[in-house]
Amino acid sequence: MSKTLAYYPGCSLHGTSGELDASFRASARALDLALLEIPGWECCGNTAAHSINRLLATALPVNELAKVEQDMRLDAVAVPCAACYSRFKTGAHDVEDPETAADVRAVVGRAYDGGVTVQNLVDVYHDAVGLEELAAKVTRPFSGLKIACYYGCLLTRPPKVTLAEDPEYPTHMDDVVKAIGCEPIDWNYKTDCCGASLALTEQGIVDDLVTRILNDAKACGVDAVAVACPLCQVNLDGRQSEILRKRSDWQTIPVIFLSQLVGRAIGLGEKELGLKKHLIDITAVMA
Amino acid sequence: MATCTVSPLLAENVGTGCGENAYKCYQCKRCTSGCPVAQYAGMHPATIMRAVQLGQLDMVFDDKFIWLCTGCETCTTRCPQGIDIAAIMDELKIIARREGRIPAGTPSAAMLKLNYDSFVRWGRMWEVELIARDVLKRPKSAMQWLSLGPKMMLKGKINPTLQKGDTLAMKRMVQTAESITSAKMRRQADAGGES
Repeated sequence: MSKTLAYYPGCSLHGTSGELDASFRASARALDLALLEIPGWECCGNTAAHSINRLLATALPVNELAKVEQDMRLDAVAVPCAACYSRFKTGAHDVEDPETAADVRAVVGRAYDGGVTVQNLVDVYHDAVGLEELAAKVTRPFSGLKIACYYGCLLTRPPKVTLAEDPEYPTHMDDVVKAIGCEPIDWNYKTDCCGASLALTEQGIVDDLVTRILNDAKACGVDAVAVACPLCQVNLDGRQSEILRKRSDWQTIPVIFLSQLVGRAIGLGEKELGLKKHLIDITAVMA
Repeated sequence: MATCTVSPLLAENVGTGCGENAYKCYQCKRCTSGCPVAQYAGMHPATIMRAVQLGQLDMVFDDKFIWLCTGCETCTTRCPQGIDIAAIMDELKIIARREGRIPAGTPSAAMLKLNYDSFVRWGRMWEVELIARDVLKRPKSAMQWLSLGPKMMLKGKINPTLQKGDTLAMKRMVQTAESITSAKMRRQADAGGES
């Protein structure tokens, strides 16, 4: 029985994080999820819009939600980028206020009636597919690969928007990696910030934050870090290659998209999952 | 340009902009304890909140803290008073830009605008354009890409081709949003003048 979800890739998945797009699509196909990309989608406004034009920041994701609800007539949208996911959830939350809804309606040109569930990468496997269904599809389970699930900021925060049950110590990604044979490890930096877009302007700060996060993961004895956000991945993976230039004693650690782990466990190949696109090699732990 | 050091209207303007009441802050500093960038500037979330309450414009706008805020939402999540502190940081960025109070040494402020202009222009944000325009503005910033850039390119992580969204729809939405926002600003200014 196949289920259909609208799909909003967002700018990163068409840019630096092509492997997230590829592995997400391939895993969805194998898990009987049909993904329909929103036609002519616009940028969600990302970090910039909400610090420049608040109304536009709310209207851009709501415009996409209105397309899903009224043009595509679907009741759920998959948004694998955690930053886009946050903008979608925030937009939907903000138009619950009637005054904001009226302004947004003027910008978008129509009302959004709140009929679309927004799902991030973890939600798709955890809820749209379901843990039992996922476990049943596993053909190449990992044999206890130790994983630090890194949630970063926006999968759970702010909880008034995401409705996360435990925003400081979430466990739903841990449940997903457990279902495919990995061993999720308790660690301390699950929801600490990686520095996000400061990687474009304040690399020194990002290197400090990335070092702290990964040192804790390593101290907890993990084999790899799992992520569900393109910016988290590009920072935790890409900055390591720069940290190595400053600190020759740095022990690298693979940073893998959740969709790549799921894909590998359900029998998808290296090419489909983009396993060779990382700066810090992940093929050894994914073999 | 005339600027004043103290403005009793700062907290009020923040409130009308983002709907948050800065006066609810009682300085428990949970926001600062959890802030990933608190140590990198002179100010931090709790001192920003105090300065907003006291209308200390220079303390807020001459420091680079608000431009280091990543929007990680930790402060908002932990505030015992339920203040959306991250939304206040956003509002301060909006006010700073409007009032021309962006201090030197804050490349993130310019990067946010490059980012905004990019998706407004194309309907989607074009990563390559952001970096190219940033390098034109700050030639020194090219240094940081000399090592990482080629590595990312070799891995096929840089997509040089422009991908457009629905640029007409984007243009219409931006124009409408900007005109609604500036009409509101005018109404507020008029109301403030009468009181």
